[in-house]
Amino acid sequence: MKILVVDDTEAVLLLISRFVEALGHVAIVARDGAEALATWRRDRPDLVLMDMMMPVMSGPEAAIAIKEEAGESWVPVVFVTGIGEENRLAEAIERGGDGYINKPVNFRVLEAKLKAFDRTLELNRKVREQSAKLADYYDRAEEEKRVVRHLMEQMVNAERLYDPQLDYWLTPAESLSGDLIAAARTPGQSLYVLLADGIGHGLTAALNVLPLTQPFYSMTEKGYAISDILTEMNNKVRQVLPVGRFVCVVLIAIDEANGCVDVWNGGMPAVQLIDADGTARHLWKSSHLPLGIVPTEAMDVIPERYYLDGPGTVLAYSDGLIEARSPVGEAFGAQRLLDLIARAQPKSWMGDVQQALAEHLDGELHHDDISLIMAHCGLPRPTPVRGAMRDGAMVPIRLPSQIEPEWRYSMQLGASELRHINTVPFMMSFINKVLGQHESQSDVFLILTELFVNALDHGVLGLDSSIKREPDGIEQYLVERSHRLAALNSGFVEIDLSGLHIEGESYLHVVVKDSGTGFDASTWLETDLATAGGLCGRGIALVRSLCATVFYRGSGNEVHAYYRVRE
Amino acid sequence: MTPTVEIEGDVGRVVLSGQFDFSAHREFRQVCETLIADPSVKEVLVDFQNVNYLDSSALGMLLLLKEKIGVANKALALVNCRDTVKQVLEIACFGKIFTIR
Repeated sequence: MKILVVDDTEAVLLLISRFVEALGHVAIVARDGAEALATWRRDRPDLVLMDMMMPVMSGPEAAIAIKEEAGESWVPVVFVTGIGEENRLAEAIERGGDGYINKPVNFRVLEAKLKAFDRTLELNRKVREQSAKLADYYDRAEEEKRVVRHLMEQMVNAERLYDPQLDYWLTPAESLSGDLIAAARTPGQSLYVLLADGIGHGLTAALNVLPLTQPFYSMTEKGYAISDILTEMNNKVRQVLPVGRFVCVVLIAIDEANGCVDVWNGGMPAVQLIDADGTARHLWKSSHLPLGIVPTEAMDVIPERYYLDGPGTVLAYSDGLIEARSPVGEAFGAQRLLDLIARAQPKSWMGDVQQALAEHLDGELHHDDISLIMAHCGLPRPTPVRGAMRDGAMVPIRLPSQIEPEWRYSMQLGASELRHINTVPFMMSFINKVLGQHESQSDVFLILTELFVNALDHGVLGLDSSIKREPDGIEQYLVERSHRLAALNSGFVEIDLSGLHIEGESYLHVVVKDSGTGFDASTWLETDLATAGGLCGRGIALVRSLCATVFYRGSGNEVHAYYRVRE
Repeated sequence: MTPTVEIEGDVGRVVLSGQFDFSAHREFRQVCETLIADPSVKEVLVDFQNVNYLDSSALGMLLLLKEKIGVANKALALVNCRDTVKQVLEIACFGKIFTIR
């Protein structure tokens, strides 16, 4: 150690300095408090051995000055005191001295004292080193969080979440959220909503849910079914997350055109359908493992469908909401949530839940991320179907007998392709390129979807949609459909798209032909959307309302639809 | 919570208590590794008798254990799951990949 020895008596100064040097330390000297302070400033010794009574500036005064200047770094000051100085010594130690040694100085005692201070100094150095390291870690962690937060904000773009049908609330336990809400519309205007909850909370949880956003948005925009999106998300999660990490997911598809809600729930609290008057109408319990646990082949990605019979709200939330604990340890609970909703007007649901939770927590912090979704559906709309009342949409066109298409795109799918490939999104990528980005896309998506589904379900698979009218008919219909599709070994669907120019307008000509026996189309084509309120026959009525002309050829297994492209 | 281990014949039992969450990570891993390394143990039971709460990171630990048990060619079962524990395991549909008794 470098030790500053301060004494106004030359003999004492010399003696202590020799002792210090004999113990292997370096001694520097000063002869009064003021000189001590100046020397300390210049040489920065590790420890100060100082007399109390000195001219110019006393020991205790110099100690206070040194301590003040040393700030956070610790410089032990040890007073060398004579008999009878106890009162002053006590005061000096109270004001910043670290110890004392009696005059005359005993060599052994000095040796022991210096060793003790050396140990404490070493400890002090380590603590300071570690706290500097800790501060460094903290800064780095904060910087990492800032980057991830930015990344999350970009990927979970809040603007994209804006939808008149959707209310949502997300409040993270830490600065980063392990809950994720995403929402988007398909080209056919179905609203898809994703609610995901990664293990834990904070940075690692946020990283867990991040891989979901890209497949969700890109596939929804292309019009893929939620089963396809789930398959892709599970692949992604399996690919990027280590074992033991998984993501609980609810995926909701609200299809107003067909009046149904599909929900797939893997590991999240039950999703509820609530009536306008607040009563619970339907429950989608978790019936699947969360994503990331089993290989996609072993997963059941088929959602559970519910047909709406009036306005309602799909309610989904993460366990952080119902498990939020009050200061006495009581959980918020699902029942409290439902009671609240039953009592209030739909408009105030979100605000009421937030307020009730704040009252419940009563200043306590919630320990898990909290998210809540309310997606409203089945509301009566000004027109039964988008575009149905559009001028000219239903005005039949006169088709010239011979017309050369500007482009043509056709394909034929056999049994194995029909089993595995979701065709319409593929065709949509092409259509989007040809038509450009505008409103017609969603019309075309609906037309292609309806015509393709009809050709596959009724033509190739020979399903009778009147099954749907029976109790549990829809379930029965879907089960039968998946059985027949899995067993399919012959049959085809042909799709032919072409672009026409008739009387200065652009038209899309869609032909869908199937290997089925056909059907008597005349009655179906008369059904209007307004009257086709049931569960079948809506598809054709929908296509009719969007197209200029729709007719069947042959035995009814070949449908032609002409759609006027909106510029 | 400190998990304890009981071995009867070729069955090793990990008895958990209190809150089973991330704070139990280290101890849980250690006792499980002891059982996995023990050649006389053919089946590992995770006993939830005294557990009143488990969270999603606990589910993650169970998945990790399942993976390790699988590699070691031993059997695994979750036993005495009651109330909250049962509920959490049901919501996560863990019955599909775990033996729960």
